[in-house]
Amino acid sequence: MGFLSPWFLGGLLAVGLPLWIHLLRQHKTIPQLFSSLMFFEKRTQSSVKHRRLRYIALLLMRMAMILLLVLMFANPFYKRTLKAGEGTQAVVIVVDRSFSMRAGDRFQKAKDGAMSMISGLAPGRTARVLALGGSVEALSQATTDKGEMGAAVQSIQAGDARGSYGELIKTLKSLMANGPMEVHFFTDLQRTAMPPAFNDLRMPDNSKLVLHAVGEEQAPNFVVESAIAPRHIYDTKKARVHAIIAGYGTPAAKKTVSLVLNGKTLATKTVDVPANGRASAEFLGVEAPYGFSRGEIQIDGGDSLKADDRFTFAVERGDPKKALLIHDGRQARAALYIRAAIDASAEASYQIEVMTADSAANVSLSKYAWVLLADVAAPPASLEKALNDYVKNGGGVLLSMGPGSAARQRTLLADDPIDGSRYAAREGDLFQTAGEIDTGHPALRRAGKFEGVKFYQSVRVRPEKSRVLAKMADQSALLLERKIGEGHVLTFTSSLDNVANDFPLHASFVPFIEQSANYLAGLDEQAGTILVGSFVELRSDKSQTAAAEVTGPDGKRLLSLQESTSAPNFKVKDEGFYELKRPNGKQELIAVHADRRESNLERIPADAAVLWQKTGQGNETPAGASDPDSAAREEKRPLWPYLLLVLLIVALVESVFANRYLAGDPDDIKRRTEPKAA
Amino acid sequence: MLQRYLQPDVLAGISGLELVAKTVVDGFLSGLHRSPTFGFSQEFAEYRAYYPGDDLRHVDWNVFARSEKMYLKRYKGETNCQTTFMLDASASMQYGSGPVTKIAYAKYLVAALAYMAVGQRDATGLCVFDDDVRGWVQPSTRQGQLHRILNTLDKATPGKRTSFEKPFVHVREFLHRRGLLVIVSDLWENPETIVKVMEPMRHHGNEVVVFHLLDEQELRPKFKDPVLLEDMESGDTMEVTPQYAATEYKDKITSHCDDMASKLRGAGLDYTLVDTSRPLDEALRGYLAARKGRM
Repeated sequence: MGFLSPWFLGGLLAVGLPLWIHLLRQHKTIPQLFSSLMFFEKRTQSSVKHRRLRYIALLLMRMAMILLLVLMFANPFYKRTLKAGEGTQAVVIVVDRSFSMRAGDRFQKAKDGAMSMISGLAPGRTARVLALGGSVEALSQATTDKGEMGAAVQSIQAGDARGSYGELIKTLKSLMANGPMEVHFFTDLQRTAMPPAFNDLRMPDNSKLVLHAVGEEQAPNFVVESAIAPRHIYDTKKARVHAIIAGYGTPAAKKTVSLVLNGKTLATKTVDVPANGRASAEFLGVEAPYGFSRGEIQIDGGDSLKADDRFTFAVERGDPKKALLIHDGRQARAALYIRAAIDASAEASYQIEVMTADSAANVSLSKYAWVLLADVAAPPASLEKALNDYVKNGGGVLLSMGPGSAARQRTLLADDPIDGSRYAAREGDLFQTAGEIDTGHPALRRAGKFEGVKFYQSVRVRPEKSRVLAKMADQSALLLERKIGEGHVLTFTSSLDNVANDFPLHASFVPFIEQSANYLAGLDEQAGTILVGSFVELRSDKSQTAAAEVTGPDGKRLLSLQESTSAPNFKVKDEGFYELKRPNGKQELIAVHADRRESNLERIPADAAVLWQKTGQGNETPAGASDPDSAAREEKRPLWPYLLLVLLIVALVESVFANRYLAGDPDDIKRRTEPKAA
Repeated sequence: MLQRYLQPDVLAGISGLELVAKTVVDGFLSGLHRSPTFGFSQEFAEYRAYYPGDDLRHVDWNVFARSEKMYLKRYKGETNCQTTFMLDASASMQYGSGPVTKIAYAKYLVAALAYMAVGQRDATGLCVFDDDVRGWVQPSTRQGQLHRILNTLDKATPGKRTSFEKPFVHVREFLHRRGLLVIVSDLWENPETIVKVMEPMRHHGNEVVVFHLLDEQELRPKFKDPVLLEDMESGDTMEVTPQYAATEYKDKITSHCDDMASKLRGAGLDYTLVDTSRPLDEALRGYLAARKGRM
């Protein structure tokens, strides 16, 4: 017998508590009125003493309750030796199907090992089969049917997800509720699959882990670690693809890197990869055809894991989209700076059309990717209505507010109240600077902190319906965003013309305009390359009931009819290209690749593996030498359920005793509480 | 059937002492089947030969007409008796182990007797006392006397300790003619002291009737556990064991009651022990039986 949490035995000190209370408690005897004590005589037997004597039973029961409670927390157990075949632990067979298992014949060896394990099980022994990929999948229920177990193992396919041993332990702990178990894990013991804390690997108590390692200790592996390609290509000559080649456990080597687009090799380069290091390759000019293209960076093989010798990406080539700049006749300067910024951008390409508000009232806005309103104070009503409809249908508008806008009561479109304008002289320090900026927002991600920008005039907008993305140093709003329908409105509380501020002259102007334009045009909704196991958003608004379609790498539709009309997102499980058609009709091509941490095939140290196996029952059986049926085992049986039962009984008896002892004489209580008859 | 209305707990549920008294007396009389003229009415007793000097009004002239001999007709009872009730309203009378306290029971008893006495056109009075006179109604046959008595009874609340001397001196001053004195008390005093105080009342030619009211718990105390008792008059406390209460105390109170009875009867006083847990008519019946024997 022993205790799993012996430190709780310190709570035994609390047993003295009822003793202290019973000894020191003042027994107050309520005097009972009597007409005359004429014939009474004092006797030595004290009622208080008598009552104390009777309380001893109550005291003992209370002490017993605390004792039982403390013992329960200490979690006592007794050991019981199990003979072969008695109280058998359920066998759990786990096969690792993570991306790294694709190296060489690891996966096949793991399956073979599991099959031989199943064939060696004693008849009638219960087992279940699990597969570890991006999550733990139960492939069979606990069964004694070897055929069912074998079929479950054979059905396991190599995956592209990243395995996590921590996830496996969590699942095993939940299975532990069904009783003790013996886990046989067929894996490559990849170091990167370990959780950050070793304690997270601790097996559930009363369980046994047997690791069956497959593959080599350290297999050298080259990998295309990443490839950065533009999502949209407008000018093929300006497009650049940047790739990083890494080696894990590899000697220095020359690797040939190829840029492949739609199956056609566009360019090839040779890089020197240092031993166990990285090298980069850059391809300038991507001759992509119009529409979506499937790109890859490939390296020549020579290692066991070939699946990571290519890195996929998706690009879309198109003509520059049109954007509209509307001014009121005084703010034409803004077009100069906006055009310059767009031209300087590598990832944004728009044809800026400039017109006055009166002219724009007669133009269809739907053909523009985004619209900039440069300090338009009083647009015609028809233009305002057209802008509202444009935004509701998914368009994006950037408002810049100069001195003219200060005369308005509320901002255009966003409808936030305006509290006037703030002016400053150019001389001295009388200017505002930018304060807090939400750099996580897509429009401000690379715009920095607007360092050095001086704002001489700004409109004070109270954010009533909009969200503040950037603030001035005096905490007034600098950039606000409001979502209307499917579209967005960005409100910049100063102008973009180098008059109210010197923003256009600073380096942060170009990325701000570029990203804002892309954000408003809806070009950054989905990255071109994502990891296996990621979720892709299908619809932001659940009220969108138009169908979405997802076609997987194998050309099959991945969504059921119901999912296509209601699912907010879906999870990508395999490498390859996914074609996506959103509810609003937009089409996208997404490249999915495996997590590159799976490419490091280094094993966990042998001593760590041994330690891991000991975390459960402490069984030191070496890997591969386990025979679950041959030896007698010891089993720890917890005693707390019995203690709980006894505690319940004692508590009930204590209640009865306490009621009887402490309730007092009912006749006396009645006599004292009821009014006397007159 | 009416007997159950004489139970103390039933009477406690009746509001108004007049109604209580009426209930008691009517119920009692209907159960007795006897004339209520217990000595107060004119009832023939015997003939006696006339002697010179006798009142001629008592001569039976019918007998004289037939026999030419003069006989006097004699009667059993006296009429127009003066009845004075003395109610002990000390603190100890507040005690009651049941639904009715001793003071309540005493009020019922006095009210019932007063009801009967007034019905007989007796001059009826009341003295409520503890260590002094707390309420006084001069004996009278005036209209509304019963209401005055009942009103004084109703207002009587248990007060301080018992002291018989001062109240009895007071009552003695107002008793100008011989009559009936009814004392209702729990008599928590030595029998000698009681006799010493009450005996002079007898010497004035009064009939003295003493109702000794005790609660059942006072007569036969039953305690489950040792208890701390507090004297209702003195405030003294004392721890008492159930064994003592069941044995020695019981012997002492029995001895006390016997001693009280013998000493009071020895002094010519009428004594009746009343258990307040018993129906009221039992006390009345015992009292009337005792009165009949004396008349």
